[in-house]
Amino acid sequence: MAGGKRTTARHQHNHPPPPPPNPSPNRGRGVADPPPASDDSPSSKRMLAFHFLRALARIHSTTPAPRRPRTIRRAAYSSMARAASPRRAWTQALLLRRARSRGVAVVGSSRRAVLLRRRVSASAPPPMLRASAGATSAAAPPVQGPPPRQAGEPARADALRRIVPGGAGMEYCSLLDETADYVLHLRAQVQLMQSLVDLFSPPNPTSN
Amino acid sequence: MSSRRPSSRGNISEDEINELISKLQALLPSSRRRGSGQASTTKLLKETCSYIKSLHREVDDLSDRLSDLMATMDHNSPGAEIIRSILRS
Repeated sequence: MAGGKRTTARHQHNHPPPPPPNPSPNRGRGVADPPPASDDSPSSKRMLAFHFLRALARIHSTTPAPRRPRTIRRAAYSSMARAASPRRAWTQALLLRRARSRGVAVVGSSRRAVLLRRRVSASAPPPMLRASAGATSAAAPPVQGPPPRQAGEPARADALRRIVPGGAGMEYCSLLDETADYVLHLRAQVQLMQSLVDLFSPPNPTSN
Repeated sequence: MSSRRPSSRGNISEDEINELISKLQALLPSSRRRGSGQASTTKLLKETCSYIKSLHREVDDLSDRLSDLMATMDHNSPGAEIIRSILRS
């Protein structure tokens, strides 16, 4: 990772907000359109690192040790979803899952539960998009199970629908597109976590 | 801009699917082209499923390792300072 610049004046709350990720590529279906730019851009990686490091700092301060592995894993997927395009079905599925799990956690507090329920309904996908299976929020259209298999669709596509977030309700074409984007961000998250492990590991005396 | 147009059965062009499959193939670690066709696509999707599952397992393993490393870090360690400097920049 590139070293951050050092400033003599320390303004703890004056750091500039991270640059937003690149806008989502144009989805025009013209044959002459060039393929959309990869979302694996440096700004997207910085956004990913920002979200995940902020979550790690919070976990380090507030989460008890036995709960940290699970909380870190959840933070990894949430950071991925936040760094990616919000219009992606897999990001909506992950963030919706996150919001609903939080809603269950604070069921004791009625006021916060009401606010979280509103947030859940607010974060539901627009009616134009297919809702993911299992997402039973009131604002989402009713899910009628996966669409019928199209002619020429391989049998392995159903297995892919099960492991890609939000994939259960996708058409074959959308499934391929979402899978590619999901793999791209999942790989970037793994690379980020690996570099953090290398960074925080105690120095080995035998290494150069 | 164009919203996600609902595509009916048989309306998806073959070229579009092939383009998406090529894009997906480029992301796999061992991408070896073995011609086009139904069997090749089935194999590609199988490899994609395996790759995603392996990435999921790596996230689980790395979460455990980060948790262990976090237990050894106090607020004055170089790692914590690095995090603070990154968040500050």
